[in-house]
Amino acid sequence: MDTFKSNNSMKADSVFVPTTALKLNNLVKRYGDFTAVSDLSLEVPKGSIYGFLGPNGAGKTTTIRMILDIVKPSSGDITILGASSAMDVRNRIGYLPEEKGLYKKMKAWAVIAYFARLKGMPSSEAKPRALELLERYGLGDFANAKVETLSKGMGQKVQVLASIAHRPDFVILDEPFSGLDPSNQQVMEQVISDLNKEGATIIFSTHVMSHAERICDRILLIASAKKVFDGTVQEAKDLLPPRVRVAGDFSAAQLIELPSVNDCNIDDDGMLNIDISSGCTPQQLMSECFDAQLTLESFEYRQPDLHDVFLHLVGEEAKVATLR
Amino acid sequence: MNNSFIIAGREYADNARTKGFWINLLMFPIILVAAIKVPQLLEEKAIPTRDYILIDQSEELGDVVQLAVDRQYAAKVAESLSKYYMANAKGGVTKGIDLEKMPSGGLDGMMGDFLEQDPGALDSLMQPGAIDSAVAMMQLGLNDDAPEFVAPRRPFSKVDVPTSIISAAELGTMDSGEIVSRLRPYLLGDKYLTTDENKLFAVIIIPQGAAAQVKRGGAAGLIQQLDEKDGVQFWAKNLADMSLSRAISSALNEHLRTNEYQRLGVDEEIVSQVKSTQMLFTSFDPSKDEGEEKVSMADTIRQFAPLGFVYMMWIAIFTVVNMLLNNTIEEKSNRIIEVLLSSATPWEIMSGKLIGIAGVGMTMMVGWVASMIGVLMYMAGPQVEWASTLLEVISNSGLLPLFGLYYMCGYLIYSGLFLAIGSLCSTIKESQNFMGTATVILMVPLMTMVFVARDPNGTLAQVLTWIPLYTPFVMMNRAAADPPAFDMWGSAILMLVTIVTMLWVSSRIFRIGILRTGQPPKLVELFKSLTRSLKNQ
Repeated sequence: MDTFKSNNSMKADSVFVPTTALKLNNLVKRYGDFTAVSDLSLEVPKGSIYGFLGPNGAGKTTTIRMILDIVKPSSGDITILGASSAMDVRNRIGYLPEEKGLYKKMKAWAVIAYFARLKGMPSSEAKPRALELLERYGLGDFANAKVETLSKGMGQKVQVLASIAHRPDFVILDEPFSGLDPSNQQVMEQVISDLNKEGATIIFSTHVMSHAERICDRILLIASAKKVFDGTVQEAKDLLPPRVRVAGDFSAAQLIELPSVNDCNIDDDGMLNIDISSGCTPQQLMSECFDAQLTLESFEYRQPDLHDVFLHLVGEEAKVATLR
Repeated sequence: MNNSFIIAGREYADNARTKGFWINLLMFPIILVAAIKVPQLLEEKAIPTRDYILIDQSEELGDVVQLAVDRQYAAKVAESLSKYYMANAKGGVTKGIDLEKMPSGGLDGMMGDFLEQDPGALDSLMQPGAIDSAVAMMQLGLNDDAPEFVAPRRPFSKVDVPTSIISAAELGTMDSGEIVSRLRPYLLGDKYLTTDENKLFAVIIIPQGAAAQVKRGGAAGLIQQLDEKDGVQFWAKNLADMSLSRAISSALNEHLRTNEYQRLGVDEEIVSQVKSTQMLFTSFDPSKDEGEEKVSMADTIRQFAPLGFVYMMWIAIFTVVNMLLNNTIEEKSNRIIEVLLSSATPWEIMSGKLIGIAGVGMTMMVGWVASMIGVLMYMAGPQVEWASTLLEVISNSGLLPLFGLYYMCGYLIYSGLFLAIGSLCSTIKESQNFMGTATVILMVPLMTMVFVARDPNGTLAQVLTWIPLYTPFVMMNRAAADPPAFDMWGSAILMLVTIVTMLWVSSRIFRIGILRTGQPPKLVELFKSLTRSLKNQ
């Protein structure tokens, strides 16, 4: 791993700079009889934003902890930024844990500076950096406030800033959006995209599909400790045929007879949800409707979103999980 | 290792910045000042001059009682005169006192002996103007800016019975029961004799035949039938302040005995001489150099100083390990620990905490000692110079380095224990279960402290020495008593081994416990994961 670092600085070898920031190889974590993560393999390209999606208890946090070398995997191996343990490159990694908490008695800037210093930033740089970050993300007035006096959302922002103050190359955010109001969620998205622009690789886990859809280049979907999907957002969406909702003076039975309709059911609004047969397009469906002389009152067509993909891939378990 | 110090720095600042810490630091000198000043103030200000009535129907013993009260006052004047001199003498007086030479009883003992042998020694002070001339005599040896001497107030002052209550004619013959019933409302504080609402403290009645009411020693005394009503009666509601009744009764006895000597034809002078004869009795310490074996005040201080150290050590250790416990639990329940773990190794976190909190403990002790010295300097007076001499004796005794050493050892052992507890619990409430046991363990050195000091090389001391959890306290306690080298070094080695083991096990438990959520693990479970992590090594 040390050779990697030295190679990086050598011009001749610069072509071999690894494009993979993180590589997981058949990662397994067992707690007694319980398997938290089962045979997970993954490659995170450098400079990408990777979303870890999955229902509660799927194994996202355990995976993240293994990546950080906070817990040791039962088997399998990890390569992060060219090192076999995150501890060897810990000053280049930023981490925001799922459960948020800070030292209550410390001032906002001091908390940020403290964690930056632990990550190797000299103390002379840490304070200005903390103040600059607080200013940039709208907390400039609270720099000298004690953490306990901040609102929950502000505290969480401070913690996010604390995890990225040392300008990490690799950032891992566990549920960064939970507990934030919509405007702060937007700030959070801003933080992530700023980091990405500065060249950092980012992994974040979330329940909220819309965030993942908006920000992620690639996603990993885990359910029941297993990898269910790994790829780009578009690849995920392509897993499902487009969704078509129609309304008109006809019955579901009439629609099912059409060649491009695989299945059809009535939703709560009385609209008909159509599952298009694979290989067919909505345009085909529409022309078939005209050919069959079905009177269409409305024809809605949309690409499936990640939420649909999520439900489709994770199925019943996810429904139960999202209710939790 | 750099991270350890960053963590230590935060830990230190976090704890040293709390109000509790500063209250703790400030309370010490405040309590110290209070302990010195309050009794003085109470004596001088809070207790008013107490009025008493003396009704002497015997026409004989009244003067004796009066003399006793006056002598008591004279002793008080003498005491404050000597304090005044010590406080204001040129160049100080107590500086010259050598604790190494002073007998172990101290100054107060000397004064008490002196007065007991010769109760009349201070009678000359009661002459009018005697106090002024005494001060005038001192003047030469005093500092120029010495304040004027203020004689202490009389603790007791005699008042006459107002004739409106008992007429002068009745006074000499009235039955004591009748006198008391007339004065009872005044004694109970329902009525006042004087306009300044000073309560009547006591009524002393000496009935006519009181002088004859003598209890005899020997076989004759056993068959005597005496009525308390015929003897001297002391009536007072306040049962706690016995100084007046004691002074009177001992003066009366003295008077009675003198009379008896005269009756029996014994020369009073000879009796007094005989009474002040004494056997020469000196304590020696066989461990001291030849010619210097006499047990001095300094020796006594050195003997008992470890007790103070043990107590201070106990408070300091208990305070700081509690901080450690609370901080660890806070980080656990906040999940800050996860961020820490992604930035530093468990060992760095643990050692950082240990160093930081040790610093807090050190600050606390330095603060205590500094404030003690500060208080002593500020209050510069006789007791204070005394105390600073005491400090000197302690600092020369070689106990201080031992104290530092044993404090560090004790701290490391207990902090290891408490860190492990903290890492296993998610809430303070959960930790209470463990704390019960830990507190019992920690109470033992405190409870046995005095017994160990009394018999520093006895069985109890030796047994406790070999229990590493108690070694620091017990060996500190024994330090002045020259414990056998085997005990000293053997227990030190055992203690060091324990510390290393303790910290190692704690760091294991810390690693395992720190990411745990929910209930603390059962003992079996803990043991299993410990051995598992051993195998993984």
